[in-house]
Amino acid sequence: MDVSDILASSAAKQKLTTVEKEVPLQVDAGLLTVTDLNPVDKESYDENTEDYLLSTARDGVQTLIAALAALPTVPSPYGPLSQLPPATTELPRAKPLPKPKPPTKWEQFAKAKGIQKKRKDRKVWDEEKQEWINRWGRDAKNKEGEDMWLSEVKLGADVSHDPAQELRTARKVRVAKNERQRLRNIAHAQGSSQVSEREQRTREIDRTLATTRVSTASMGRFDKQLESEKKLRGVKRKFDSNERSVEEEKKNSLAIISKLESETNRARKEKSGGDDILNVRKAIRSASRGKGSAALSRDSSGKGRGKKGKR
Amino acid sequence: MLRTVKPKNARSKRAQEAREPKEVEGPRTAIFVKGTHTGDVVNNAMKELMALKRPDAISFSKKNPIHPFEDASSLEFWSQKNDASLFVIGQSTKKRPNGLVFARMFDYKVLDMCEVGVEGFKGMSEFKGPKSTPGHAPALHFASDLFDTHPRFIHLKSLLLSFFSGTTVDSLHLPGLEHVISISLSPTPPSLTSSSDDDTQTLPKVHLRTYYIKTTPSGTRTPAVSLLPMGPHLDLALRRHVPPSSNAHLLTLAMRRPKLKKMDAEKGLGKRKKNVEVDEMGDVRGRIHLGKQDLAGLKGRRVKALRGGPESEDSGESGNEVESEEESPRQKKRSRGGD
Repeated sequence: MDVSDILASSAAKQKLTTVEKEVPLQVDAGLLTVTDLNPVDKESYDENTEDYLLSTARDGVQTLIAALAALPTVPSPYGPLSQLPPATTELPRAKPLPKPKPPTKWEQFAKAKGIQKKRKDRKVWDEEKQEWINRWGRDAKNKEGEDMWLSEVKLGADVSHDPAQELRTARKVRVAKNERQRLRNIAHAQGSSQVSEREQRTREIDRTLATTRVSTASMGRFDKQLESEKKLRGVKRKFDSNERSVEEEKKNSLAIISKLESETNRARKEKSGGDDILNVRKAIRSASRGKGSAALSRDSSGKGRGKKGKR
Repeated sequence: MLRTVKPKNARSKRAQEAREPKEVEGPRTAIFVKGTHTGDVVNNAMKELMALKRPDAISFSKKNPIHPFEDASSLEFWSQKNDASLFVIGQSTKKRPNGLVFARMFDYKVLDMCEVGVEGFKGMSEFKGPKSTPGHAPALHFASDLFDTHPRFIHLKSLLLSFFSGTTVDSLHLPGLEHVISISLSPTPPSLTSSSDDDTQTLPKVHLRTYYIKTTPSGTRTPAVSLLPMGPHLDLALRRHVPPSSNAHLLTLAMRRPKLKKMDAEKGLGKRKKNVEVDEMGDVRGRIHLGKQDLAGLKGRRVKALRGGPESEDSGESGNEVESEEESPRQKKRSRGGD
């Protein structure tokens, strides 16, 4: 049996599907791109441009297809799907990276406790009705008992006691609580700067009121108290924790040093300016013996009159 | 700047959310705009490029007095209004006949631009033969050493990559790869240096060709490929450009990559895969390194014949030992008592 024909034909097939070039072609399978870095062959380009372009393109596509065919595949109803690797060529994005959402309070808690998120089905099985019913919404499980035509009332219950209404209010309270928590999470995510105008105004008024209350000579001690007036709350002192990271400590120390430096700089500047060598206010006070500049000028202008007036 | 309003219903909210930046971005939308005057060539070239880019393409039917290299404010406005990040602007003037400007945006601001002059054009209708299905991702082919060395062509490659295949596909049905867009250059003139950046006369021409890919089974796993010209065919000359490096701060923001999730890192994304390879049959083969096997702890089959002998002897001996130990103190005591 002569196998040379078979061998020759298989060799021809191999030749058809393999491309050999001086510089091997670069394939970026993720972007379906192939780059041929071989310099353009001037002779064949000049001879027949279109043919040359077609042949280089064919070589490139052949290499790309070979690279794609070698990738692992997964079966699908349409045929095998090649799993492409991520692109190696980095292209600029069209929009900036999304900012990570701050976790909600529950998410923080769940993370600390290691609670996995479980997806709840929309439907739950009802044993009595023997069918799947909504978890929430129309005729839902969470409204069970609210439309019961008959319910047991304990002995000595209030006349106005309505079990269905009670269940309904309890549900409404749960919903309201959830909504409150949701809004709080949103507010927290947006930061404390995002308060409503009304809220801002209220805070401003409160602040002004607090200032005026301590603005009398006795700092509000002997003022008449209004009936509903609350005691003023002072600022609570806050202390840093004793255990701090070295990094933080270093930062704080450096901040103090830089502050000191800037203060000495400022003092030096003031000195060099020469304007503030004399503290004018202090000088007037000592010269006028605490009577002020007006008295000083009066004294200097008419000494006699001043004496005259004195009896 | 466009005003942003709070969505009042679910539909507008969804629409607004669709515009928000995403970690993995979809294909870029391109807007095709005509300048004050466009000739036949530019009109046709834009129409055909749009056919390739469809469905992520928006066409502006009216003419607009825009000069992207002087004032890009209207580009920024349109980009935001249409949520598009690519522009093709056609303009034909006496000084720059048959010009096409490719502009790429980041965050609704112009990142980079490149102007090309269309010197030769052949539309799809001039080629008989099969055409690709609209919406199919094209393969891209770049052919010249300059795409790796010359800044102008590196820029052009990046721009065209963004234009034609900006998104990364994670899986592909191989027969779905229907056409290839091949971008090749004319032979590099000897006078060309990378520093002669502004002199566009010496730069080689760019040939943009589109071919239909026809695959035939070759008997091996890789099919044999033959190409049929499909059109459009464009011969382009590079003109003015704004490199991305001129907007360095935008570029750094644009090149930021999302942090890999733990699962992706485990899958081997972002890291080099070690000891895993795909063989010629397309099977994934892995190499595992094991420690030295501890044969001492090996539990073989326990046969009755082996079990009996040494164990029974052991028990007999130990019994004797206990006895002897017990006896010895007594003997001592006795001996003492005897004395």
